[in-house]
Amino acid sequence: MKHRSLVLFMLLLLVLSPLLVAAADDFELTIPLPLTGKPAKFGEIMKHSYEIAVEEINAKGGVKGKKIVLGFEDSTGKPETARAIVEKLIDSKKQPIIVGEYTSACAKAVAAVAEERKTPYLIVASADDDITQNKYKYVFRQNQVNAHYGDAVVDFLKNVVKPKSIAILYESSAFGTSGADAMEKDAVKINAKVVLKEKFETGAIDFKPLLSKVKAEQPDVVYTVAYANEAQLIMKQAKELRVDARLYAGGAAGFAIPEFIKGAQDAAEFVISATLWSPQLKYEGAKEFADKYKAKYGEYPSYHGASAYAAMHVTADALNRAKGLSPDEIRDALKATDLKTAYGPVKFEDKEGYQNQNFHETLVIQVQKGEFENIWPQSQAGKAYIFPIPSWRERK
Amino acid sequence: MIKLEIFLQTLIQGLLLGGLYSLIGVGMTIIMGVMKIINLAHGELMMVAMYIAYVLFTAFQIDPYFSILIAAPVLFFLGIALQKYLINPVLRVEAIIPENQVILTVGIGMVLANLATIIFQSDYRQTPLSYASKTWYLQDYWKSSPVDLSITAPWLVTFLVAVLITLGLWFFLARTDMGKSIRATAQDSEAAMIMGVNVDRMRVITFGLGSALVGAAGCLFIPIYYIYPDIGGQFTLISFVITILGGLGSTVGAILGGLVLGLFESLTATYVGMGWAPVGRFAIFVAALVFLPGGMASLLKSKRMK
Repeated sequence: MKHRSLVLFMLLLLVLSPLLVAAADDFELTIPLPLTGKPAKFGEIMKHSYEIAVEEINAKGGVKGKKIVLGFEDSTGKPETARAIVEKLIDSKKQPIIVGEYTSACAKAVAAVAEERKTPYLIVASADDDITQNKYKYVFRQNQVNAHYGDAVVDFLKNVVKPKSIAILYESSAFGTSGADAMEKDAVKINAKVVLKEKFETGAIDFKPLLSKVKAEQPDVVYTVAYANEAQLIMKQAKELRVDARLYAGGAAGFAIPEFIKGAQDAAEFVISATLWSPQLKYEGAKEFADKYKAKYGEYPSYHGASAYAAMHVTADALNRAKGLSPDEIRDALKATDLKTAYGPVKFEDKEGYQNQNFHETLVIQVQKGEFENIWPQSQAGKAYIFPIPSWRERK
Repeated sequence: MIKLEIFLQTLIQGLLLGGLYSLIGVGMTIIMGVMKIINLAHGELMMVAMYIAYVLFTAFQIDPYFSILIAAPVLFFLGIALQKYLINPVLRVEAIIPENQVILTVGIGMVLANLATIIFQSDYRQTPLSYASKTWYLQDYWKSSPVDLSITAPWLVTFLVAVLITLGLWFFLARTDMGKSIRATAQDSEAAMIMGVNVDRMRVITFGLGSALVGAAGCLFIPIYYIYPDIGGQFTLISFVITILGGLGSTVGAILGGLVLGLFESLTATYVGMGWAPVGRFAIFVAALVFLPGGMASLLKSKRMK
């Protein structure tokens, strides 16, 4: 009997020892993000990117002489789970800063907890506008808000395409609806008439009736907000029906990921889309990060990865500049951030009704010969844009 | 003129979609007719066939249309196994809930969907075919045509194969001994038993046949759609609507029901709005239950009586 309790004790010690050692001179940082469930793919990209960043930071001496020890907790994309994870991190683990999450619903839940507990929270890739419109003092967002996702596309339309009419097709989700509404407002600004604004359900099979309607209206620009599958089906079926517009444009998401080109094949050619980041960007470190990621995981990271990678550098920078490691000291340091990252310059501003929001440039990419190329703004353009585009009939 | 073009194109698409719907629905219908239960794992069986076709395509470059020859038999035996070892034992048990086999099929569906998630992850997958968007245009062949209509190769092939399979099924049910036995079992299983039909065996075969049909539909669907593990639910729903619309258990009714549903969805999408298509689907479902409880089959019958 005695023996057994001794063995148990030893086992306990063995299990606890890494924790005890870690507590001594490491900085533990646990990140909530989805690793299973529907958004798991994005969670995975971000996890890899955080790891790459931490490796670099630790190689340069870590933060305040401490090594960062990364941990991950799976929130499965559910706000209640994310909330519980963060409550645990702040209350019992006393983690002085929270970084992470992906879906807007989760980020909203986490932001509320962080504000309540006066702990800084850095949002990495959640776009819903109102998260940083709540007068929260402790919530920071590095990625652009939904309302500005299409800025570069609108700018491109205004300066190059000069459309008279525009058709907006969108998915009947919160993301699709807000994207379509934003474009409707922007269309007025560039004097384009919205001739058609139609939503569709996720999982729809046949878009041809909808596209026939577009064909009848003959709009200059067809702007679509959709996730991966619908984006592909719409372009394929537009090609099959020969629905000619002067330009096809997409609102990020399904139009800005490699699956779009893989799935829609030649129907994807010349389609432009908004996006937040691409590996060809002329920011210092962007290409290095993308190459490092590709060498390790076999494909280029999406903007989610780049934002996560940069967020870790922003966090390390703030921790290094902070007077101490209390939540308030870190918060003040974060607020004073002015850093050039692989994701672009990061600076948290209060304007347009947002607080602690980083307003960064968005981009326009165009599919050229089966590859995404940066075409707008011109300072970031890797290739010249192709416009006007050939009609479906002229393509072979 | 452009209005006419939209209308005709909508009709074409509706018919093509309806043909596919028919094939999906007919499998559920014959199971319904013979077993008197709704198989709510129907869409998941289709999902299994789609993954079979997907694996065959990515591993061996087998065209999804040829995969029908492999996936349909596999699904046939899968259906037989499900019926023999899971559903039949439950049929024999006296239970508090009368329809516990139906609940069992829900469970089977969940198991299949989760197995697929484990094996294939929840990623969306596609089979990129070289001819996937090959399209024929009316104006290419008839230069002075006032309207330009188009038809896409995979949609057309899918439709034609669906028609062929449905015709084959009709021939099987109407002309062969086994088909007649199945129909006899569907009409009155006790009488059929007295006449020397092996009713249990017919049930097993019917379940296999229904599964094989939806398996074929799965293969036909792949070239124009995509797959993910939870895709089954939406097709179970569609076939359920078709089964009700067609008149429970009537093969011809299900075929007509599928076509009507396809046309109706297409027309709703064009003239009301695409976001309304699911609403239309349920409106037609409720309308069928209220005004036409016997479905299309009852319409056909009443005509014959006159």
